[in-house]
Amino acid sequence: MNEIILKTNNLSKSYKNFTAINQVNIQINKGDIYGLIGRNGAGKTTLMKIITTLTNKTNGEFELFNHKDNDLTQTKRRIGCLIENPAFFSNLSAYDNLKYYAIQKGITDNNQIIQSLKLVGLEDTKNKKFKNFSLGMKQRLGIAFAILDNPDFIILDEPINGLDPIGISDLRDTFKRLNEEKNITILISSHILSELYLLATRFCILEQGHVIKELTKEELDTECSKCIVIKTDDTKKATVILEKELNTTNYQVVNNEEIRLYDYLEQSQKINKVLVKNDVNIKQIQETGISLEDYFKSLISSQN
Amino acid sequence: MINLIKSDLYRIFKGKAIYITLAIVIIIGIVSCVGMSSGYIGVSTGSKLTSFDKESTIALNEANNLIEYRNIIKSHGSFELDRQIIGQNGNLYYLFIVIVVISLSTDFSNKSIKNTLSSAITRKQYYFSKLVLIAFLGTLFVLFNNYFSYFLNLIINGDNFSMPFMETVKITLLQLPLLYGIISLLVCFAFVLQKTALFNTVSISFIILLQTLIIGITNLFKINLNGFYDYEFQSALSKLADFPTNKYIIICAVLGIAYIVVFNIIGYNIFKKCEIK
Repeated sequence: MNEIILKTNNLSKSYKNFTAINQVNIQINKGDIYGLIGRNGAGKTTLMKIITTLTNKTNGEFELFNHKDNDLTQTKRRIGCLIENPAFFSNLSAYDNLKYYAIQKGITDNNQIIQSLKLVGLEDTKNKKFKNFSLGMKQRLGIAFAILDNPDFIILDEPINGLDPIGISDLRDTFKRLNEEKNITILISSHILSELYLLATRFCILEQGHVIKELTKEELDTECSKCIVIKTDDTKKATVILEKELNTTNYQVVNNEEIRLYDYLEQSQKINKVLVKNDVNIKQIQETGISLEDYFKSLISSQN
Repeated sequence: MINLIKSDLYRIFKGKAIYITLAIVIIIGIVSCVGMSSGYIGVSTGSKLTSFDKESTIALNEANNLIEYRNIIKSHGSFELDRQIIGQNGNLYYLFIVIVVISLSTDFSNKSIKNTLSSAITRKQYYFSKLVLIAFLGTLFVLFNNYFSYFLNLIINGDNFSMPFMETVKITLLQLPLLYGIISLLVCFAFVLQKTALFNTVSISFIILLQTLIIGITNLFKINLNGFYDYEFQSALSKLADFPTNKYIIICAVLGIAYIVVFNIIGYNIFKKCEIK
């Protein structure tokens, strides 16, 4: 069984007249790249701030590495994070800023600082002062800080904001490498859905503080991919006909009245004819397929 | 906690602000010793050490150059200039503001506090590390100011204008509880207000407003607030350097400890619950 890195139980945070997150239940397992999707104000940053103890929860609880949220001092050593904008001392260089945190974390090997800078491509500008950094460089330094202490779990809030396309691609590779080679679990939020899609293995969609959907990449692909949706009251018979008459197994039985067929796209009339001919009662048949962005929009609009 | 203090010392001594502050202490010390008069920032002082007779005051005002000025003061007879200088340690309040800004407020202003608190450091550790760091730097400044002034005065003005070394040690120790109380007040302000500009505005105007209010109320309503004014902190530091009674020493020490306890309880409890933005 997978080790649970983070588990929340009805986690809520309210301000005077506003509920930022409401009874959030999520679970992140070791090795996940968990993508948080949500509009501005959906509660992504608040959730991350509660986990990193930058703000207090109002209700509910969470466990980090199987430690209750009132006993996180030791477990917080195992996380690295970048919450909101990267914040460092403007008069210090990239190296000195990381050195400051290295001393704070008890890291004695300065090579770790160099390795972190190298990983985000800042080794050549390590002596440049933070105040002279571009937005993209600041983001990179924030990520270097997050991975400085070889964490098991990285929390990244909008880490690719301000990066150019090559920078985004490089960082995606870096995150994937950290995940695959070092088995680091990642919780990441981003507004760039297409980018999140390329990176994350699991997704959580937040809206107005509620989790409205939590799904794996495979499930998301299924939800979004182009297919023919067949609604029938006899899925078993319908699948037999599909295999026998149309020679395809490229389908998925979603529930006892829905089949998704990924072959014969744009030939729904032909499918309908074959099934009806074989006495399968068809309630509905239609072609579908949407982008992650459209999927996100449809989920949000269904909530509202 | 030790690591946090070490990292802050690394950062602070990499910057310029600490050296500029140190330079200010040196300049004030040199000006005070050469000019044979302690510099003073604030509304009023309760010290009686600086008093000259009318004739000498006129002569001082009419002095053409520094040598003439120094000769007039020296002809007035011997007095303990270093005691005067140490009596004006209320001036260090403004330097403590700088120390709090570079040690703590910067962390809030540039939001780097998020990086620290999201790691294995608790708010309690953070609060007390910062308090210890600021108290440590404050002590360094007090010691540097007192002993730099003492030895410089001894070298420039000689024995006649200097008190015994052990007296300097004694006055320093007497002033420390009150100085730590003031440091606690500033630390409390910094944790509550968080923004550097707001902290600077409040902490600078606080001391001026406090003194102005006391003097204003005294003059306006003809109320005798001398008993209260004796324990206003700049006035108290001055009096502690000026042969205080045992009762006065004890009251000031208790007052200093009370400041330390009260302001840190307020500061920590507010910080413990606040959201880090």
